[in-house]
Amino acid sequence: MRGVRARNESAWLLPNDGTRTNHRLRRDMRGFADDDELDLVIVGCGAGGSVLLQRLARAGWRVAAIEAGPFWDPDADWVSDEAGSHHLYWTEPRVIAGTDPVPMGSNNSGRGVGGSMVHYAGYTPRLHPSDFATHSLDGVGADWPIGYAQLRRYYEQIEQELPVAGEHWPWGDPHGYPYRPHPVGGNGEIFLRGARKLGITAKVGPVAIANGRFGNRPHCIYRGFCLQGCKVNAKASPLITHIPDALANGAEVRADAMVTRVAVDERTGRATGVYYLRDGTERFQRASMVAIAGYSIETPRLLLNSACSRFPDGLANDFDQVGRYLMVQGAPQTAGRFDAEVRMYKAPPPEVSSEDFYETDPAQDYKRGFAIQNVSPLPITWAEHVAAQGHWGRGLREYMSDYVHWACLGALCEFLPRPENRVTLAEEKDRYGLPVARFAYSQCDNDRALVRAAQAVMEDLLHAAGADEVITIQRYAHLVGGARMASDERHGVVDGRCRSFAVPNLYVTDGSVLPTQGSANPALTIMAVAARAADQLIEGARSGSG
Amino acid sequence: MVTARCEQPPQIKFFTAAEAACAEALLDHLTGQSDKPMVPVLRMVDARLAADETDGWRYADLPEDAQAWRDSLACLDADANLRCGCGFADAAEAEQMALLQAVLDRGSESWHGLPAAHVWSLWTRYATTAFYSHPSAWAEIGFPGPAYPRGYKNIGVGKLEPFEVPDAEPSDDPVREGT
Repeated sequence: MRGVRARNESAWLLPNDGTRTNHRLRRDMRGFADDDELDLVIVGCGAGGSVLLQRLARAGWRVAAIEAGPFWDPDADWVSDEAGSHHLYWTEPRVIAGTDPVPMGSNNSGRGVGGSMVHYAGYTPRLHPSDFATHSLDGVGADWPIGYAQLRRYYEQIEQELPVAGEHWPWGDPHGYPYRPHPVGGNGEIFLRGARKLGITAKVGPVAIANGRFGNRPHCIYRGFCLQGCKVNAKASPLITHIPDALANGAEVRADAMVTRVAVDERTGRATGVYYLRDGTERFQRASMVAIAGYSIETPRLLLNSACSRFPDGLANDFDQVGRYLMVQGAPQTAGRFDAEVRMYKAPPPEVSSEDFYETDPAQDYKRGFAIQNVSPLPITWAEHVAAQGHWGRGLREYMSDYVHWACLGALCEFLPRPENRVTLAEEKDRYGLPVARFAYSQCDNDRALVRAAQAVMEDLLHAAGADEVITIQRYAHLVGGARMASDERHGVVDGRCRSFAVPNLYVTDGSVLPTQGSANPALTIMAVAARAADQLIEGARSGSG
Repeated sequence: MVTARCEQPPQIKFFTAAEAACAEALLDHLTGQSDKPMVPVLRMVDARLAADETDGWRYADLPEDAQAWRDSLACLDADANLRCGCGFADAAEAEQMALLQAVLDRGSESWHGLPAAHVWSLWTRYATTAFYSHPSAWAEIGFPGPAYPRGYKNIGVGKLEPFEVPDAEPSDDPVREGT
């Protein structure tokens, strides 16, 4: 791990005295003035923004990230409680529409430094090489302007920096992980048992929780509240994996500041900085480059809200590409009841995965595929699963009373990118007077076929493991797309290096640039794409072509 | 934070008196405690609506949550008036349950101009989030609650911590036996 520390010292900059935040680092943080022209200002401090910030700060750039939410302190701000974690989610108003509207909030939207990775489960699989060329290979989806080979070294870097624990991974581009797999709890044991019976390959991992100490980060205590923010500093999020090193290298994180608009000089066509609200006052941060990393809803919304006379339909939206091709994964969740006690709330919710059904199977009438993973809903989320069966009142209570006997699996189905699945601006305004995002989602036949197939496999797995009853809830997981990368401006918003086609010094470095999503949880890919964009920015500045 | 939930909850701030009566009957039915109150779900939901603590989204065919609650309670009272000649809160328990089941059974169809399934989703989300955040509900389902800094040491099927109590009748699946 010595190589990791040399390029990212975050884990060693955290305290080792049982507290979780290096307050001195934050107190001594560099502060730029609004009229300092930064080399780059980043909007949003989640998976993409934090990695970009850390890389550029290390390279000596004058950089700041402006984040709408708070600068979290796990000791003071996070709790082992579902309802008490409500503040971790982006809960500003949003409108959901389409034939298959996708709930937001706790499901897929973070706020504050660390972004959604504060409350993600911790699964960090790579995309498969096929994900970068689904149009060529399968006639569906899109081809990326870059290939897997361009991203591989960044996948490896980030897997070491998080770091990731798991068995040797036989799928996609086969690879190992820096840490050995974690022991599995009852839920993982059930998955492995069912898979063995059916001849399905299932592996432990890949989970962004070190199995052992990592720097000053302690070992996981298996308390099961990964989705409520890790109070232990065991589960990786940018708050502890990239922000400490960024601060130590002179970056600023300006939290509780909501960017409302990207400014563009109408004469030169270049971005000049960002308007933001802090303590109720509008301010303007000058910068010679702007990178937006607000994720798939807020990034398109910000571009659309940044319309000006040069870009009357929204910034970088000359070809009506902003907000389009937004994707979620179909995420049916199937549970099985066992007479033995599973107690799925013990151990981290991410345990075991199978990617046996990930690639297109010529024998099926659908393209692409799905992954299966353990999920371990806590009581409120489990009540939602049971209520979805139509149970309420006494019936709901009776079902719920058997909580310790249930094991739960979740699928990630590769829903296809479609132009009509998109963010637009609603009539409704938020408390700052800005139009809120309206997100329309509708499934296609291939999407529905994948969900049916995934549910059938999960039911088989649980029955094979000995379940006497199985129940399923239809859900969605993750967000990507909305400002995708493409080979030209008629098919996307940014190019393969995340630079917008329309504004030469405007970048998008978050999940919204992904043209396809595979059946992988997106966090690792978002970080890898941002790390690659950072390398190219640094290289461009060195060679004078930035 | 958890112990605060067990103390006397705040006074009603969001609902009017009439709305509160209707909402209380609704929420107690949804959480199966109309005969034996255990968790003050009405007060918890009221506090949430008063603070405008939404889930961060709404369906395009419903207004914002606060207004959707007021509208849907008015619809429930209208149904009760038609069927029983009184408000929902004053209807007989069996009638109340029949009225609620009728909303659920409408599925994706319209109910007084509102999409029934989306109203049902709103009601059950607020009700179960409040109910299953309460330690009494956790005790009922065998969930030990917060686990920091303690964590768990004995993970795996059938493995218990010293403080965990095994289910007295593990093969007694209430649902399997009931059907």
